[in-house]
Amino acid sequence: MIDPSIAHSINRRRFLQGTGLGFGGMALNNLLGSPRPTPKAKAKSVIWLFMRGGVSHMESFDPKPALNDHAGKSIPDSPYASVLEPEKFENQRVVVVGDANGQQRNKLYPLQVGYKQYGQSGTAVSDWFPHIGQQVDDLAIIRSMWTTDNNHGAQVQFHSGRHMLDPHEPTIGAWINYGLGSLNDDLPQFINIGPRFFDKRDGHYLGPAYDAVNLKIDPKNPLNFAKPEGKISLEEQKATFDLTGRLNRLSAKMYPSDPALEARIKSYELAYRMQSAVPETINFDDESEATKKLYGLDQKETRPFGEQLLAARRFVERGVRFIQIMHGDGAAGAWDQHSQLKKNHAKLAGQVDLPTAGLLQDLKQRGLLEDTIVVFATEFGRTPGSQGTDGRDHHPYGFSVWMAGGGIKGGVVHGSTDEIGFHAVEHPHYVTDIHATLLHQLGLDGRSLEVPGHKRIEQDYGHIISEILA
Amino acid sequence: MKPITWLLPALGLHSFIFGAPDYLQDVKPLLASRCFDCHGALKQEAKLRVDTAQSMIDAEMIIPGKPDDSELIYRITTTEPEERMPPEHEGAMFLENEVNIIREWIANGAPVPEGEKPEADPQDHWAYQKIKRPPLPKDVSDQNPVDAFIHSKHREMALKPQPPAEPKILLRRLYLDLSGLPPTTEQLLTNASYEDTVDQLLASPHYGERWGRHWMDVWRYSDWYGLGGMLRHSQKHLWHWRDWIINSLNKDKGYDRMIQEMLAGDELDPQSREAVTGTGYLARSYYVFNRNTWLDATIEHSAKAFLGITMNCAKCHDHKYDPISQVDYYNYRSFFEPHHLRLDALPGETNFDKNGLPRAYDRDLNATTSLFQRGDPALPDDQKNIQPLVPKMFREFAPEVQTVSLPPSSWAPGSRSYFQNDQIKLAESEILNARKELQEYKSGKKAIPPEVKKDNPVNQKAESFTDGFEAERPELWKIVGGGWRYQGGNLVQLEPVMSDQFVRSLKVHPRDFELTMEFRTTGGKKWKSVGVCFDIDEEGKNGHVVYASAVNNAQKVQVAHRTNNRMTYPPQAQKRKQIQLDKNYVFTLQVKKDLLNVSLNHEHLISHRLPQRYKDGRIELLAFDAIAEFNEISVRELPADTKLKPPTSHSPNLVKVDPTELPKARLKATLAKLKAIKARIAADKWMIRHSEIDINNEIISHSIVSQKEYLVAQAEVDLLTAKAGKKAAAEKNLANARKALEEDGGEHTPLRGSQMALVSNVDKEPEYSAIYEKQSTGRRLALAQWITSSENPLAARVAINHIWMRHFGTPLVKSSFDFGRRIPKPEHAELLDWLASELIASDWSMKKIHRIILTSETWKRTASNLHADPKTIKTDKNNQYYWRMNSRRMESQVIRDSLLHIAGKLDLKMGGPSINPSPDSTRRALYFLHSRDQQSKFLATFDDAEILACYERTESIVPQQALALSNAKLPIQISESLGKKGPKEDTAFINELFQKILCRMPTDEELHECLQFLNKMPKRDRLAHALLTHNDFLTIR
Repeated sequence: MIDPSIAHSINRRRFLQGTGLGFGGMALNNLLGSPRPTPKAKAKSVIWLFMRGGVSHMESFDPKPALNDHAGKSIPDSPYASVLEPEKFENQRVVVVGDANGQQRNKLYPLQVGYKQYGQSGTAVSDWFPHIGQQVDDLAIIRSMWTTDNNHGAQVQFHSGRHMLDPHEPTIGAWINYGLGSLNDDLPQFINIGPRFFDKRDGHYLGPAYDAVNLKIDPKNPLNFAKPEGKISLEEQKATFDLTGRLNRLSAKMYPSDPALEARIKSYELAYRMQSAVPETINFDDESEATKKLYGLDQKETRPFGEQLLAARRFVERGVRFIQIMHGDGAAGAWDQHSQLKKNHAKLAGQVDLPTAGLLQDLKQRGLLEDTIVVFATEFGRTPGSQGTDGRDHHPYGFSVWMAGGGIKGGVVHGSTDEIGFHAVEHPHYVTDIHATLLHQLGLDGRSLEVPGHKRIEQDYGHIISEILA
Repeated sequence: MKPITWLLPALGLHSFIFGAPDYLQDVKPLLASRCFDCHGALKQEAKLRVDTAQSMIDAEMIIPGKPDDSELIYRITTTEPEERMPPEHEGAMFLENEVNIIREWIANGAPVPEGEKPEADPQDHWAYQKIKRPPLPKDVSDQNPVDAFIHSKHREMALKPQPPAEPKILLRRLYLDLSGLPPTTEQLLTNASYEDTVDQLLASPHYGERWGRHWMDVWRYSDWYGLGGMLRHSQKHLWHWRDWIINSLNKDKGYDRMIQEMLAGDELDPQSREAVTGTGYLARSYYVFNRNTWLDATIEHSAKAFLGITMNCAKCHDHKYDPISQVDYYNYRSFFEPHHLRLDALPGETNFDKNGLPRAYDRDLNATTSLFQRGDPALPDDQKNIQPLVPKMFREFAPEVQTVSLPPSSWAPGSRSYFQNDQIKLAESEILNARKELQEYKSGKKAIPPEVKKDNPVNQKAESFTDGFEAERPELWKIVGGGWRYQGGNLVQLEPVMSDQFVRSLKVHPRDFELTMEFRTTGGKKWKSVGVCFDIDEEGKNGHVVYASAVNNAQKVQVAHRTNNRMTYPPQAQKRKQIQLDKNYVFTLQVKKDLLNVSLNHEHLISHRLPQRYKDGRIELLAFDAIAEFNEISVRELPADTKLKPPTSHSPNLVKVDPTELPKARLKATLAKLKAIKARIAADKWMIRHSEIDINNEIISHSIVSQKEYLVAQAEVDLLTAKAGKKAAAEKNLANARKALEEDGGEHTPLRGSQMALVSNVDKEPEYSAIYEKQSTGRRLALAQWITSSENPLAARVAINHIWMRHFGTPLVKSSFDFGRRIPKPEHAELLDWLASELIASDWSMKKIHRIILTSETWKRTASNLHADPKTIKTDKNNQYYWRMNSRRMESQVIRDSLLHIAGKLDLKMGGPSINPSPDSTRRALYFLHSRDQQSKFLATFDDAEILACYERTESIVPQQALALSNAKLPIQISESLGKKGPKEDTAFINELFQKILCRMPTDEELHECLQFLNKMPKRDRLAHALLTHNDFLTIR
């Protein structure tokens, strides 16, 4: 097995030697160079919406009427007893010894919400997501996802493709940032909005420069160090930046052709612009009332997520590659409905449904959906059986995500779970299949971008889900 | 230029551009990546080699011109599990376009350039050769060996080196290199010779701090982290190991000895606290949930850091490139298999949460290791005999594994005299306190309840608050005990226990208030009581409780009073009420002076007069013996005009309590405890003298009886302080203790002088034995001795490479953690070997190596290209031959420390517990907490050390760094401080500022720029800030 970090360090050096830079890392090259050409690219940017805690697939994008028909029966007593055959659980890997999570599925629990068919495709979507339902002809819904972690470490796994017990790998956002480079130097290229927990890093062996930049939708203080933590006027700050720039240029006379110095001079100019470009991007004053309404900015429940999505669109317009929006607070994530699923899923869906649909419509009407991929994902689904009286436990064996835009087919349902939503049976996809598909649409070769020769290479690197490509 | 093309072995690119596939460019790399590991120099499965075209032809794997008849094509295209290549689980199948390239090449007649050589024998790899000291080159006259080797290369390549750096710049470089701090103006203007300054800096304690941080990178220092208060990774108080690194470097402990102490200090010199502290290295990799993950990290990183072997690549299958088999991996694991971790008590502290020494020891002397097929713990292969053996090809100089006998201080840490004395002192102080308390109650100075007041004068600011429990709010709640989780938008208590676990508000509620709380009880063992407390004091001793109990057959809502930790349940404040599981309820509490109204689901149930109110009352959520969810709480001031319902009965029934009952019991228990401790100490001593336990011996039996007496006395106290539902258990406990005292027999319980790390997350610590094995396997010591053997070809080379890289900015061997076969022989191999042999010959003294390097002309050269020989620049643009110094950016810690140091504000205190990475801290940054969850934001911006692995710091240049320097509090404050000091006259001020920040005088042009700036904007702090963000401040030139 090749150790990926060696491959990185060697290749990085080779690359840098190729450009004549002794050191400095890729970020330096990002500064000095242009975006990397990707002739086969169908998409330029990704908006990654991640519902933390585990969305019930049966009550969102994979309705299972059989649950209503057999409600109250235990799985062994139902016609679906075969889902419990032990060999069907081989992929599961438990982090915590004796972890009871993911085991609670006593009796088949009926659907807690109705569903309807939408659009020309007639795809069924639950009544908790009526607005997304309206957009269903733009979505490719994948109903056959699976993962291996039965607990919330699966959040990391969905982003890195690696189980919590395996060494850390860079996340998909970091790889894309690494592989593509920048379209706009005034803005950070990989943005995270919202809570993270299990792993707060992205770059790992690619280096901290590939970690997501955490951002808040607060024009006054959107990111770390975005405004002086002291009494300095704008004018003073500008003068200071200018003087540093002039002194650095004088220093370049003493240290001619020092690429790091050149890069630093440029990075200061960028920093000065970033200071205003970031707040400017998340300031919605120039958006029409209609647009704000589209994202639900006029309603208390939808406003926070709507603002994040509107900001995401504005970042995409400005060339940012990867905007990762994490929804749902708490260590485990708000969608983790071990109990009171109906009440809380309804509430959470109410927060994201309208803004997400608004985002899709807005991207479309601006022609941005053509080269922007929207991903709507979660770390795992929830058990078809009940936990307690009114909840569902973690369920890694089958769940749903959807993608839209950027050359992804619309109105498509791909893959399926069995009748009760237990196992992914038709076209099962491990989480990195989503990564491979994204990389492919962005013009990158997932297998070459990473390092050949891994264990379980197919699983680790993922297959492109070609059935959903336009 | 896109970097990904460099990650590709240029698959198919050549044929795409030039037509026919080329063997060396297109075909061989494909075979190398998929086939060479089993059919090359490393292994010859089926006696087949495919590392030359001829060998493939000879083996009839390919028939030139006939791809369809070639076995190779069949093997790489078939999906037959028995026949496909690479085999399942050992590599991905060839892609279609890759097969086509090979097919086309065969079809073209399999053309190969002449003289194709097979892969070299792994044994011949440069890094695996014994280190021999090479003679110094004869073509140059240099005395310093670094110069001799480097200059000889310069001659060979006709390179013209740059002159030395300007003396002040050189001095700055030297100070930053050895102390991590720039020189002060006074130090800059020294008359001392360069060599004396080198010696002086090497002797300074800051050397250990500066280089300690480097080695903390390589050895993966991380403070503990987990989930909330639960430790999951690393160990508490790991700073002891950090200080061990610093002190070891400062005393120039041999690098060999350091490795031995890190891997096996407990076996090497068990009596020495210093040696044992080194094993903090092993404590760092701890992971509570999974022993395999823990050991995998120990294996991977010890092999990478000490040996430059990527052992981790052999976990699932034989190494693809290096002569390390999968059996070697598990053999190597076997060295670590017996070890475990614990905290040993240190003098003066009996609380392991406050201090303790994290260390390794062998827990299981007979631990066996299995090979896991494909690295999967579910697939152990018991056919393979796994033993503590080093990789086969390096076995000739491996020492025997020899069992180590341990002294009593190791196997019975409670027998250490300082620990015994601390225990006695603690017990004595408890007696004093108990006496004092009793006296206070007797004299009436204290009474039950303390500070009785009819009213509740709120001293602190009272606040209304609401919480929907969407996420943790540490500013609002203090959470104690396990079982609490924020999940699904609720605060949930998952463990039905009766012990002390609670969620208490940090805010004080208004005196007269209205509280609503939505909750549901979802389970529990017996009592299933869920509710809320108010008027709770900071320590939780006093207050009032309202709860709903779903206990079978007696479901009710009850008001109770907690008075000095004792509960009373007035019968008139109780209402029978059906409480269902899994149903949401809303409690409404209204309190006005001493009147309380309680409603459930808006139905009025109880009116009650409170016997007293307590000041600064807090809210507490209660889940007693229950699994419960708290959905929402809201606490607000009671509107003044609210009318509460008075109770029908007017006489609250306060239970009369003898105020001295509890203090008396406490005193009795503390006295019994001291007696028991003394008896146990005597018994421990006897046990160590006789190395056995004889319960008939008087000393032993006295210890047993004293301990029983103490347990009875303590059980009496526990009963008095037990809360309602725990009364029965406490009574039972007391009865058992009394019964045990009446009966003969029992066991001597040695004093517990250590706290074991959890073996499994479901374990509880006190169940572990207080004494340990009297021997250690000696496996880790044997491993450490093999690593540091003077015959080991890798350890010294790897160490020199790390040291060199940190002096020069570039390593001699490209990959500092991989010296395997894929890493070509370095350009400066002889220099590397000379320094490695010198390291070994000088008892592994690192200071000696530093001195050689730092006094070389090579190290002193300017980092500038200015006036450099154009031919030299052209020949060696990347300075591979060190004809000039490399400029480097300061590491994150150096930037931050230098900012403070320049303004004279850096606190140079050394060592001690890790501190909060606050922007206001003035301690050196290497003492900051450094873990997944604790890291300074400022440091993180400048490529701070990655905690999982950091063999080399990256040096990124991103705009966020400029923002941090411009906008963070620290540089702004330092600028203000610098702007206030200094000469009145501008030119003199600018000169002084340049000296302080850049350690040089400004050029005329720079002076002009700065004067002009001050003319336009007479703000000296702004000028200082511009210099603090200057590239040459951040850069080590």
